[in-house]
Amino acid sequence: MADPILRATGLSKRFGSQQAVKQVSFDIQPGEIFSLLGPNGAGKTTTISMLSGLLIPTEGDALIAGHSVTRQAAAVKQAIGVVPQEIALYPSISARENLAFWGRMYGLGGAHLKERIAATLEVAGLADRADDLVETFSGGMKRRINIAVGLLHQPQILFMDEPTVGNDPQSRRRILDTVKDLNRHGLAVLYTTHYMEEAEELSHRIGIIDNGELIALGTQAELTRTVGEFDTLHITVDREGDALDALCRHMEGVGEVSHCTTDNGGLLLQVKDANAALAGVVAGIAAQGARIRDIDIREPNLEAVFLHLTGRALRD
Amino acid sequence: MKILHIAWKDTITRLRDRRAIIGFLLAPLVVAGLIGAAFGPAFRGERPLSDIPIFLVNEDTGEIGDIYAEVLSSPDLDGLFAVTESDDLAAARAAVESGDARAAVHIPADFSEDLLAAAQTAADVPVTVAVYTDPTASISPFIVSAVVERITLSVNTLMLSGQIGTNQALSHAALLGPALAELDSIVPQVIEAQAETAGQTSIGLTRLALGEEETDANPFSYFAPATAIFFLMFSMMDSTRSILQEETMGTLPRLITTPTPVSHILLGKIGGAFLTGILQFLVLVLASAVIFRLDWGNPLALAAVMLATVFAATSLGALISALARNETQAGILGSAITLVSAALGGTFAQASTLPAFMQPFSKMTINRWSLDAFLELTFGQADMAAIFPHLGVLLGMAAVFFFVALVLFQRRFVR
Ligand SMILES: Nc1ncnc2c1ncn2[C@@H]1O[C@H](COP(=O)(O)OP(=O)(O)OP(=O)(O)O)[C@@H](O)[C@H]1O
Ligand SMILES: [Mg+2]
Repeated sequence: MADPILRATGLSKRFGSQQAVKQVSFDIQPGEIFSLLGPNGAGKTTTISMLSGLLIPTEGDALIAGHSVTRQAAAVKQAIGVVPQEIALYPSISARENLAFWGRMYGLGGAHLKERIAATLEVAGLADRADDLVETFSGGMKRRINIAVGLLHQPQILFMDEPTVGNDPQSRRRILDTVKDLNRHGLAVLYTTHYMEEAEELSHRIGIIDNGELIALGTQAELTRTVGEFDTLHITVDREGDALDALCRHMEGVGEVSHCTTDNGGLLLQVKDANAALAGVVAGIAAQGARIRDIDIREPNLEAVFLHLTGRALRD
Repeated sequence: MKILHIAWKDTITRLRDRRAIIGFLLAPLVVAGLIGAAFGPAFRGERPLSDIPIFLVNEDTGEIGDIYAEVLSSPDLDGLFAVTESDDLAAARAAVESGDARAAVHIPADFSEDLLAAAQTAADVPVTVAVYTDPTASISPFIVSAVVERITLSVNTLMLSGQIGTNQALSHAALLGPALAELDSIVPQVIEAQAETAGQTSIGLTRLALGEEETDANPFSYFAPATAIFFLMFSMMDSTRSILQEETMGTLPRLITTPTPVSHILLGKIGGAFLTGILQFLVLVLASAVIFRLDWGNPLALAAVMLATVFAATSLGALISALARNETQAGILGSAITLVSAALGGTFAQASTLPAFMQPFSKMTINRWSLDAFLELTFGQADMAAIFPHLGVLLGMAAVFFFVALVLFQRRFVR
């Protein structure tokens, strides 16, 4: 295998007494999409910030394109493209002026800069709106320009921090397709998200991060294998809040249920074999006087992996 | 290069912001214009006022004091003043304070005696005519002071040329003829006259100084630079606060992820504010020169004062932003410091009228040093050498604020 484009070793960040990231290590190969999957506050942004020279690691280091983030920040910054979680553009100047400004910050100029602006506007699908002020754009359009800025200087690896948050399904689709398209042209991507589906769709490999710790790492197949033969039953019932939690506690130990957690209006039950367990589970719920509205059998997925590893649902 | 790109980005962004333009350029012009309109007639030598009520308390036992009495109620002044002669200074001052009179001119008992003695012995005894003015009145105190000063200058000249002596019979009107003939245009000429005589009769002037400081303040040449400095401070607080604004907007963190050193980013941001300030000052100076026909004095020295003032104001703004926890706090702190500096530094009323214990605080403000330098240039028609001390203080403040701000920001943005 070629040298990794990114190698993080023992990255740690402490804010006062809070350990936001603990001993995180992973590699990203050239041409790979690597996702960091984790809930809010897991430490995704903190990790990306250390990799992009915004935060100094309390411990550990990372090599990007062969340069150390702590000791050769300038070279690292030239190699990476960064798409921040929040839109970071100047609203009162046009899309083209934004791209020109950010391009200059990467040392681009002249005809080459013009060319790159045109190319990234094409990627964003906003060539026809290039001269409009960014403040007149929709949220989705701003997101796309936000991404375009990260591509201007043709980085070797692109960092994307939850780029689809707050987008309608259509813009979200567009962004995911863009990422795949860029990757097809050989760009390595470090992608963070708390959406399991995005990580599953995009990634060659996935790191699951929780409470600042990387708790699992591998391809989707490798990860789901760690939960083994477990299936997940998602059952929607006519209970909410405390009543739902109480029902959930009752269900643990009923039949083959090894673990129960709640997830927006439903129960997530971990069982050995969904088909075999179903009858007992239905009876168990009925015995508690609850009515079932919907039952969904899920094959092992990243949600199940997270549940298995942390005992919590990925989404809060 | 990147520094310039950042500075330029900030400048064009601000220039496109119509609200900011109003704040940076139009508001100061309008405020200066309002003051200019209030003082304008005097400035152009017109005389819209008449019968300005003044008190003359002439206690002089000699004859020179009579010159003042004679000139102030001279028909040549065309009823400009309604003079009440009185020998009760306290009552006269009370009348001014209560608003019944606009000014009280006081000539002390030994005025002539002291003056002539001083002239003969060439001793440096201060002899003073005091003008007490109504601080709430806008235009009339300046006129009274200007006329009294004109008389003083004439007396001064006559003394120096030996035309007033111990044994000489005085024919006041004859002696003062040339001066009186000009009285119609006295007010606009005051500054010029001072500039002309300052060099030749400086010895004489110290002997016969007027006690009232406001005498040399042509209102507009005073308030134009004062207003400009005041608004400059506001906009420099605003522009440097954009560093914190970019921090919350996320564009500053993003800038740090580009291969641009943090020091360059900061220099670019502060440089952008500096550019805005220069532009603002330039527009105000040019506009007031054209619209209000204001003479700003030696252009090279003027440029130096402008640069030093903008540098100091920008650095102070940067320091405040660097010290503040967030944008809101910086905004409050910046406005407070701007207003206090303005009050202490002479923006609203001459700093020299502040009580003595306030003077050291006044001299800690950018406003004071800058305004004093401008006044040297506008009133004093001074050259570069005269404002070296002011430039030194302003640049010293600027350098200290600038470097402290830079260090604080560096620590703040890369943790
Ligand atoms: N500047 C900071 N000072 C103090 N604590 C911080 C700081 N930045 C992050 N944290 C804390 O570190 C932890 C990780 O935060 P981080 O922003 O990296 O999470 P995240 O995975 O990106 O979450 P999200 O999905 O909400 O963006 C959180 O508990 C957060 O409160
Ligand atoms: Mg985040």
